[in-house]
Amino acid sequence: MGYVLTQSGFSELVKSLESQYRIFAPVLKKGAGRHLDTDVVLYDFVKSAEEIELEHKSDYAFKEALLPMSETLFFFTEQQTKEADLDERPVLVFLRSCDLHALKRLDDIYLRNGKEIDPFYKRRRDLLHFVLIGCPHAFENCFCVDMGSNLTKDGYVFSIDSAEEGEDTVYRFEVPDASFNTFFEGAGGTKADVQHTYVTETKTRVRVPEEVPQAVMKDALWDEYTQRCIGCGRCNFVCPTCTCFTMQDVYYTDNGRVGERRRVEASCMVDGFTNVAGGGQYRKTKGERMRFKVLHKISDHKKRFGENMCVGCGRCDDVCPEYISYSHIINKVYDASEKVLQAKNAEGGEENE
Amino acid sequence: MNTAVTNANPYIPFPSEILDVVKHTQKEYTFRMKFEGEVRPGQFFEVSVPKFGEAPISVSGIGKDYVDLTIRRVGRVTNEVFEHYKGQSLLLRGPYGNGFDIDLYKEGETVVVAGGTGVSPVRGVIEALSTMDNAKDKYAIAGFRSPDDMLFRDDLARWKDRLNLILTVDRAPEGYEGNVGLVTKFIADLPLRDPSSAKAVVVGPPPMMKFTIIELQKKGFKDENITVSYERKMCCGLGKCGHCRVNSTYICLDGPVFNYTEGKLLMD
Amino acid sequence: MGELDINVVKLKKNAFRVSKVRGETASRIRIPGGVIDAKSMQKIVEIAEKYGTGTIDITNRQGIEIPGIKLEDVDKVNAEVQSVIDALHINQTERGKGFPSSGTRNIEACPGKRLCPFGNYDTTAMAQRIEQMVFPNDRHVKIACTGCSNDCAKVRFADFGIIGMTEPQYNPDRCVTCEQCVNYCKKRSVGALSVVNGKIVRDTDKCIGCGVCVHYCPTRAWTRSKEHYFRLVLLGRTGKKNPRLAEDFIKWCDEESIMKIIHNAYAYIEEYIDPNAVEHKEHIGYIVDRTGFEKFKEYILKDVTLGPKAEVAKTMYWGGKHYDQYGG
Repeated sequence: MGYVLTQSGFSELVKSLESQYRIFAPVLKKGAGRHLDTDVVLYDFVKSAEEIELEHKSDYAFKEALLPMSETLFFFTEQQTKEADLDERPVLVFLRSCDLHALKRLDDIYLRNGKEIDPFYKRRRDLLHFVLIGCPHAFENCFCVDMGSNLTKDGYVFSIDSAEEGEDTVYRFEVPDASFNTFFEGAGGTKADVQHTYVTETKTRVRVPEEVPQAVMKDALWDEYTQRCIGCGRCNFVCPTCTCFTMQDVYYTDNGRVGERRRVEASCMVDGFTNVAGGGQYRKTKGERMRFKVLHKISDHKKRFGENMCVGCGRCDDVCPEYISYSHIINKVYDASEKVLQAKNAEGGEENE
Repeated sequence: MNTAVTNANPYIPFPSEILDVVKHTQKEYTFRMKFEGEVRPGQFFEVSVPKFGEAPISVSGIGKDYVDLTIRRVGRVTNEVFEHYKGQSLLLRGPYGNGFDIDLYKEGETVVVAGGTGVSPVRGVIEALSTMDNAKDKYAIAGFRSPDDMLFRDDLARWKDRLNLILTVDRAPEGYEGNVGLVTKFIADLPLRDPSSAKAVVVGPPPMMKFTIIELQKKGFKDENITVSYERKMCCGLGKCGHCRVNSTYICLDGPVFNYTEGKLLMD
Repeated sequence: MGELDINVVKLKKNAFRVSKVRGETASRIRIPGGVIDAKSMQKIVEIAEKYGTGTIDITNRQGIEIPGIKLEDVDKVNAEVQSVIDALHINQTERGKGFPSSGTRNIEACPGKRLCPFGNYDTTAMAQRIEQMVFPNDRHVKIACTGCSNDCAKVRFADFGIIGMTEPQYNPDRCVTCEQCVNYCKKRSVGALSVVNGKIVRDTDKCIGCGVCVHYCPTRAWTRSKEHYFRLVLLGRTGKKNPRLAEDFIKWCDEESIMKIIHNAYAYIEEYIDPNAVEHKEHIGYIVDRTGFEKFKEYILKDVTLGPKAEVAKTMYWGGKHYDQYGG
């Protein structure tokens, strides 16, 4: 079940959706890239269809809907605290299949890790509905197929695919949530049997090891990243599954007893992430940090929650200013793991003889 | 008031009255904070320090209506606490972490090895050992950088009479009469009947823990009889912020206290 | 060879050098902004092989000289070089006759935003624009464009040095206080950033608009201003009498004002140049030394409407070594 809309129909649709939902979507920010006259696609609240970037993969992740880069949690005085207000209107988030898979990883941490549910996450989470942006083709660094995140069966209210047909752009929507039908009818949509597009093969391929032996942590493969990585943390900040944050207290007065507490996104690649009182620091080298990050994505999270954290969106490779390829590292880890296992098997074999 | 308010939002701290302040050294103070609720030694609180922010501080003492928090005056966060005195209050969250299970150390021989501020989280453990009927089978080796850095002097004096306490300093001015040397130096000569069944608790800076465990293993201790407690940066204490994660383990949730068979796999 | 009868002034004004080797000359081709298309480069290679010694000299000011050309081949070379002149849009008075040169030097540019990650404007385009405005011109003026405060184009050796600036735009909502901007500004720039209450504060007096913060920000909390700004530095020079670095004249200047200022400067030269100067040449810097900076400033700012952010130096002093006054 679905609808087809013209360009103007899509504009109408967004206009009417916008009256009931806040719409959080990828937006191409002209000139906001790192270098002069380069653009960046990041998430923002939009008012119109024209602002929504459907063609390019966003450089930054939808997770900012749940974990803003900087979020005030509460205000405090000497004896009282008050949670920061939140716009309580429901939100429609435009995202891709990999992103929707990433959502589950975010939920793992914020709703299921430890006995406490994160209330600041949950109150935002409860407001979200998802619009699936179809992927007719993979982008340069995508490897969703190998991570099993190319397919999405549920969790979205409708999907959107746009295609150039002659002079016009035609928009196709698969609408599993029938409560949205009225919006499409209102926008002059033509009923059609629509299924969202998805990627079936990617140029970038990864081999994810079933298990990473402890010995791989000490493998020399990590050393080169101590030289190459600059520890900027871009890979973390753009990652749809990176969840770490740091608390900040801000004081309005000299006595230091009135202020607000914020949390800001944090990166395990950036200096200071592990600093403890007294100057102690863990994982001082970039190579160790790279190992920590990569193994979290393809091994450690899985041990705890049953699924790999990485969804293969490739944003970390897109953004790395030092041309470090995370997908290459996965393959290196696979090879190193195989080597350890083979050595172990050979040893075991000898013992049996 | 000032008891553990069960808050719907675990991030929101509660005010706790400062009942007493003990100055141990120029740098270390123990704050006795009003608190009623279940706490175990080795657990920690997130303490909100005016002007500076939150810091994870382990529980160094537990009473019916209070917890002791020993705060070392290092780092940006903890300097400011020293400006505050009795009668005022601090904002706390916690307790967090698993803490020590004292029952594990009831039977047989037990050795606690602690270095520097590592004495804080095991202070409750040593205290418990010192009151046990078989306290003569209990050993505590406490090491500090210098005589001036010693914490819990009153406790040390009391423990000395009840269990086998070895107090040592890394270095001392000439004429110092006590032990001088790293804690590791004293392990080989411990007069244990059966090291293979003896229990050990090790807490301190990472290098001290590493070499202490090597000495214990040499002495005949089994890994499964060794308990360690790890220090990590902990921003939330709730398993969300990610700072304390090591591999698939969240120190704030699954630790900071680990059996060494598990702890030795936590590679940073 | 005995028949050579050359008007060397005309020769030089036709972009040929008088060589120390009798009978030989070198064809000079200026490359505005330092960018030349490969085809033109091929043509230059061809000329060098056909008329020259098969070598090409890359000049200090991003030009080319083809040495070893026989004086009798000047006309042929001028005919052949026409396609290069067309491609580079070099000012020309008569087709097939080479181009008028001497006086104002080639407008230099670093790679700027076309290549360089730090470039704050299209230096090549600006150099080409200035070229169109000022050439051909007999007056001795050096102009150079550089993309950022690194000043790879060494514009502080020029009479008019144009340094690209961006005004960093800060979005506190995207800032995670990783402090990379603060650290990089300190290490690679001027240390204009600091952290106050978990957010970054920019010291606008200190900031030189280099864009390092934008470059290193991992979250897009720092972005570039839509407006392009420039630092205009004046009257640097090398040479015998008083070599010195150019000094800041206007900070946060706009492009149109710079164009107008340069335009005015040429009018100023016409009015104040020493009529008895050797070969009718007097370097602009020495003219200003004679008239005083105030006169010059008044002249070049005629009809210039600076933007609200522009900061104009009230007084200017140049340093450097005065061999003419104190001896070497």
